[in-house]
Amino acid sequence: MTDVIVIGGGPAGMAAAIESAKNGASTILIERNKELGGILNQCIHNGFGLHYFNEELTGPEFAKRLEKEVKKYKNITVLLNTFVVSIKSGEVVVQNQEGKKKLKTRSIVFATGAREKTPASITLTGTRPEGVLTAGVAQKMVNVYGRLPGKNVVILGSGDIGLIMARRLTYERAKVKAILEINPATSGLRRNILQCVEDYNIPLFYKHTVFEVVGKDRIEGIYYGQVDSNYNPILSTRKFLKCDCLILSVGLVPETDLLPEMKLMRATSGGEVDEYLMTNIPGIFTCGNVLHIHDLVDNVCLESADAGKFASLYAKGKLNTTQPIKVSAGQGVSYVVPAVAYAGEGKFTAKFRLKSKVTKTNVVAKSNGNVLGKKFLLAGVPGEMLTLEVDKSLAKDEIVLEVET
Amino acid sequence: MSQNYDVLIIGAGVVGCCLASDLARSGYSVVVVEKANDVATGASKANSGLVHAGYDPKPNTLKARLNLEGNKMYPSLCQRLGVKLKKTGAIVVGNDKGAVDALYERGKQNGLKNLEVLGRDGLLKLCPNLNSDITIGLYAKDAYIVSPYLLTICLAEEAILNGATFLLNDKVKNCKKQGKNFEITAKNTTFTAKYIVNSAGAGYNEVAKVLGSERYKIEFRRGEYYVLDSTESGLTPITVFPLPSAAGKGVLVTPTIDGNILVGPTSYQSDVSTKTTKEGLDDVKQKSSALIEVNLRKAIRQFAGIRAITEGDFTIEKSRKVEGVINLAGICSPGLSSAPAISKYVFSLLGLEYNPSISAKKIKPYFLLKDLNDDQINSLIVKNKSYGRIICKCENITEGDILFALNRPLRVNSIDGVKRRVRAGMGRCQGGFCKLPVAEIIAKHNKISLDDVLKENEGSKLFVSPIRGGKND
Repeated sequence: MTDVIVIGGGPAGMAAAIESAKNGASTILIERNKELGGILNQCIHNGFGLHYFNEELTGPEFAKRLEKEVKKYKNITVLLNTFVVSIKSGEVVVQNQEGKKKLKTRSIVFATGAREKTPASITLTGTRPEGVLTAGVAQKMVNVYGRLPGKNVVILGSGDIGLIMARRLTYERAKVKAILEINPATSGLRRNILQCVEDYNIPLFYKHTVFEVVGKDRIEGIYYGQVDSNYNPILSTRKFLKCDCLILSVGLVPETDLLPEMKLMRATSGGEVDEYLMTNIPGIFTCGNVLHIHDLVDNVCLESADAGKFASLYAKGKLNTTQPIKVSAGQGVSYVVPAVAYAGEGKFTAKFRLKSKVTKTNVVAKSNGNVLGKKFLLAGVPGEMLTLEVDKSLAKDEIVLEVET
Repeated sequence: MSQNYDVLIIGAGVVGCCLASDLARSGYSVVVVEKANDVATGASKANSGLVHAGYDPKPNTLKARLNLEGNKMYPSLCQRLGVKLKKTGAIVVGNDKGAVDALYERGKQNGLKNLEVLGRDGLLKLCPNLNSDITIGLYAKDAYIVSPYLLTICLAEEAILNGATFLLNDKVKNCKKQGKNFEITAKNTTFTAKYIVNSAGAGYNEVAKVLGSERYKIEFRRGEYYVLDSTESGLTPITVFPLPSAAGKGVLVTPTIDGNILVGPTSYQSDVSTKTTKEGLDDVKQKSSALIEVNLRKAIRQFAGIRAITEGDFTIEKSRKVEGVINLAGICSPGLSSAPAISKYVFSLLGLEYNPSISAKKIKPYFLLKDLNDDQINSLIVKNKSYGRIICKCENITEGDILFALNRPLRVNSIDGVKRRVRAGMGRCQGGFCKLPVAEIIAKHNKISLDDVLKENEGSKLFVSPIRGGKND
């Protein structure tokens, strides 16, 4: 019997395992790949670690730092090349080259990350040739395999990975002919728009999308154009653009499929958790991108360290879960994590995203007219994950996070 | 010296492969020429995967006769090959009693036995999620679901095991009759054959032109589909059709043999392109909602297939222009259901003896590690460590499963080829995680460069060039 099993050896899982081990819990960290680090290993650009390590690192450097930390703890057992087949409260079934076996545990941290939305999930129409791929796969091709997926590239969606790939492919002398964003604004970080798009004069078209993929064996081009306010194509704007590669950066989906019993939050597609990051299944905690899609890996690690800590406390029977109070997103806020806090002294950190861009306004947490936390935003965009310290000692009823008007 | 074959089959769809296997197992020498890089890449991969009971075709047509006969052959065919076949049954539903009764009568006329007209309560027992407007339907018990591409692949492999030759990425460039034999020039080879069967599907007329045989008026109809995530498998345990119309059997909702739900197809006049369209997919959405409320946000794939149609019926006949050529044109639905019967019928047209030997070689059935019990899984992993490495996390497909597909009688060099055989990349992430690892396994096993691994056909390589610093192998 182990105290804590952490599923997923990316930054979230490593940060959770480290904190769990720090608290003296016997910890198993399970990773399906041959090395720890998850998707960071293919993110060779810099910009990681400013908040967590107070210095700027590349993805692999960030991962190595965490891995070194993991290895310091004798009470962490790392299982590489190990696949989790199923999970339930107190038990994880794994499969690796030694066979299939059950591992008993007191608590579980579910940190499986996210997957990319596919062409099918956005109903991309036309043919289905080679050369249409998600930004993460394109990134792996270039950074891990050292090969280009195309030389004349169109990027659909302006998510961060797509923006990073626009720059990366430009470095490799591929021509990024256009970035098409169906929304009137980007979901990517401002710094990525500046450093990856504007610095390289890559055309970015808002309210535009791909109407049709053309090409039999390899993509030969796309028909694209503008969409109306209901996201329907305006056919009179339809144009052809020749390309040999179409990269999709249209969002991430939390990889929750291993835990079908977990209650999900509609706005995030991740688990609905309490202030300890525990799901509706007792003893199963979740964090990182499988909980909600983060902007920065630094924030993933801060959250996941909490999950590791709480999981280890749960394993020792030291977690108080009486008098739950609902936490919800009010005006101007698209979601808030957690969904439940417990009455009593102390504070918790609420993580949330804005529905739309705001300037010079306050975000407040209120309960029954009492203000439990307040933060001034000089400027805020939906692409950034925000936090707010909430003092729960005054909360008796539902806590609502909202943007002040 | 060139090879001499009894029969040349052009087109490796389900009909061509079934015929190849039947001929090979009956002791004839067979060569199959296929223009694509794998078998089952045309209509045989992109259809509903149904073995129809046979109530739908017009009585006294080839479709009616061969559908019913083929349907009866399916259980033993699939058992022989170790291909999963499930008798799910089918219901045709609506609220027009007259139309249901007429379909029932047609089924009886076609010789079907297990047919029943059911009211709403009876239908709900078979499919609890039916739309509230539905009042009446026809229940055909003898309908099955099958993987049409895995079936075709297994037939091709069985044919090869029994001596057939498959020439993939190839085409008949020239064909001359020399005495009783045809002298055939393919891309890199010449050979002779006594008979030629044109089962080229959508490419029928193109092939007929080379052979000098009859060309027919072939209409292409495109059918668009949604595939839903396996999480939606509870939607229906049975195939649900609307009442048929002139355009075909309509948009249906069916379980697939691999645990997904298939919704479609449309029926649009088309060229041979298998593109999907917004109009088509919207049409599927709207029409399927008349049967069952389907959550299309759970779609993991959309695809389209082409049906090649000759007016009224299948066209299966001896060429009058070129003796020794058999024309198989317009094998649209129910082509999959009829395939084994079509094969048998072609024997009679050729005047050959349909006598597959019971001592013919059998293929090793496909299986996936995940379908075994825990003891079997553990002992297989101990024996073969590659089964301990999961490559496709959505479908739980291991490296061992993929290597199994690569070590079959028919060579595989494409990611889609692996996908059709062992489902790596068939899940909700659609190969996002496993595409490159699968490509690596193919390259290593086939001793080719990663740069030469294909998605599907020639021209579908994954990469266009190394990066400036050079590739990383």
